[in-house]
Amino acid sequence: MSNQTHEKVNMDPGYIIKLAVTLLITCAVVAAALGGVNAVTADKIAAINWEKTVNAMKAVVADPDATEFSDAMELTETMTAAASGAGASLDSVYQATANGENAGYAIKVVASGSQGSIEMMVGVDGEGAVTGVSIVKNSETKGIGSKVMENQNTASGTGVLSQFIGKSAADGTLTVGSNVDAITGATVSTRGVTTGVNAALAVAGALG
Amino acid sequence: MNFGKQLKEGLLTQNPVLVQMLGLCSTMAITTSIANGIGMGVSVIIILTASNVVISAIRKVVPDKIRIAMFIVVIAGFVTCVDLLLQAFVPSIAASLGVFIPLIVVNCIILGRAEAFSYKNGIGASFFDGICQGLGYTFVLLAMCVIRELLGAGTLAGFRIIPEQYPIGVLTLPVGGFLVLGCLIAAMQWALSKSKEGK
Repeated sequence: MSNQTHEKVNMDPGYIIKLAVTLLITCAVVAAALGGVNAVTADKIAAINWEKTVNAMKAVVADPDATEFSDAMELTETMTAAASGAGASLDSVYQATANGENAGYAIKVVASGSQGSIEMMVGVDGEGAVTGVSIVKNSETKGIGSKVMENQNTASGTGVLSQFIGKSAADGTLTVGSNVDAITGATVSTRGVTTGVNAALAVAGALG
Repeated sequence: MNFGKQLKEGLLTQNPVLVQMLGLCSTMAITTSIANGIGMGVSVIIILTASNVVISAIRKVVPDKIRIAMFIVVIAGFVTCVDLLLQAFVPSIAASLGVFIPLIVVNCIILGRAEAFSYKNGIGASFFDGICQGLGYTFVLLAMCVIRELLGAGTLAGFRIIPEQYPIGVLTLPVGGFLVLGCLIAAMQWALSKSKEGK
């Protein structure tokens, strides 16, 4: 050995087995405890997450009180490709039913903003028009990008998220500056949201 | 070891954040509102005390070579429990603290106290050490929260104190966290050296 000060490694098999067994027992005990806690909390956490998702979906459909939502649909290759083709990634799709009739979809997409991902829910009705946009999770700069997340008014007087209502694939690709107004100083965040809406429309188009 | 001395060390002379400089990351990241500070402080007190007690209890059977691995397994177990319980029973706190609850696993205060204290001391003393060091951490969190929420957002525990147009918004950003923490550390060092001179 080049370095004489190194502590000599104890290669005694008995000692190594002792180390391994001690670690194994500790891990087993901790894992058992976690399993117990998980059994108690798993249903509650799932219920809370579902309630959050439903609230986000209710915020983007035309008639929140009469609308019911399916469980997350199975994502097909065509759906994910449609979203990524528009520059965002698809998280989940829920079918909306109002008074027993098909009322379109609530589509959760993830687009990139100025400070990280923006998770957003976009409602699209049976005719392929946007019924609402709400932000589920974001890390945009407080006081700048957050204005977009809070749906503040653009210079034209409509909320920056509300302006998407009624838009459909027939309007062509939505672009900040041509058919979408940005909040002054928060162009990148507005662009992120616009990309998300485009992706959701593409997914709704792929669903037919 | 007695409780009074441990409490004084935890809160002042050996304060985990202001003197030992442990757990600075979470201190700056989550101290934007008082609710966050209380949630984080209580979580850390519980995890620190529980892991201190367990580590102290098993210290005689843990082989020296793998002690750090054992500490981390124990700490991670408690952190995951607290994380799941928060998500299930106080989802609002879990949502606002986000990733910083799982990150308590690598919060140096807990591993630091395991190595420096509970691995060498009895269960009772380790239990009090957990509480005292946890209180010291919480106390700094709350000081930061009050300063940053009051001056940065103009509210205190959600109630508006300063009208909306006056607060210094930069204090709620990360840079504000650095500034406030720096000032607190400086004030603490000044007070400590002052009290040493006095003796």
